[in-house]
Amino acid sequence: MRQRTFGWTSFALHPKGIRFETQEESEEIILFLRQHIILLIPHIVLVGLLIIIPPVIFPMIFRSLSESVALPVGYMIIGWAFWYVVVFGILLTNIIHWFFNIFIVTNKRIIDIDFVNLLYKEFSEAKIDKIQDISFQTMGILATMFDYGNVFIQTASEKPNFVFESVPKPAKVVDVISDLIQVNEHKQV
Amino acid sequence: MTPESLQSIGWIFIKLITLIGIGIYTLFAGIIVRQEQLMAHVLEEGTEPILRLLAIIHLLASIGILLAAIILL
Repeated sequence: MRQRTFGWTSFALHPKGIRFETQEESEEIILFLRQHIILLIPHIVLVGLLIIIPPVIFPMIFRSLSESVALPVGYMIIGWAFWYVVVFGILLTNIIHWFFNIFIVTNKRIIDIDFVNLLYKEFSEAKIDKIQDISFQTMGILATMFDYGNVFIQTASEKPNFVFESVPKPAKVVDVISDLIQVNEHKQV
Repeated sequence: MTPESLQSIGWIFIKLITLIGIGIYTLFAGIIVRQEQLMAHVLEEGTEPILRLLAIIHLLASIGILLAAIILL
């Protein structure tokens, strides 16, 4: 069944309204994956802490500084404003990193788009018929509670190993890819 | 050199360092906008404009602080 995809999803089967750069006309996206959204929580907590630091720490710093040097008001204003812009920047880069780190399974290939940092990205793909082995691993309390884990795919293509890291429903992902491999084998026979 | 002139040179130095720091950060904010645009070509998705808007707001805020620093410091 084709489902309307909410843009911030981590798991979408037969998503609608999503296209990627090298998608062919006859190519259909079967599975669209990102890391589980729960992995954003530590970053959000960190940002929450950074937001409450200025009202607590800054007055102490300014007070201690004002005993030796009179700090101009301009520096205080710019300091506060710059702090919050940097905190917003930290949150934004983490969200962008999560948003564009994607794994796509189509009826023809698997694709891993890694947005490593702001200046480096990597696009890897392997044809479905090149997949040799597929397995998954769920480790830890959070992974068990929220049902996410790593999916390992060995291929005979240029990139021998694909890892879909911390994706939701890893067992379902393995299931979908296994079904695709079988369908592909039947077609070839 | 009098202590006053030394202090004045010190503040000029601090102002310069602050402006350079904010300037480099503004450049970084520009890179985020550019990279977001490039990634949006790789993945076409309905909610991507929200990210673009956030990246632009971040860049504008950085430019605003840089301008405010030039005026206020």
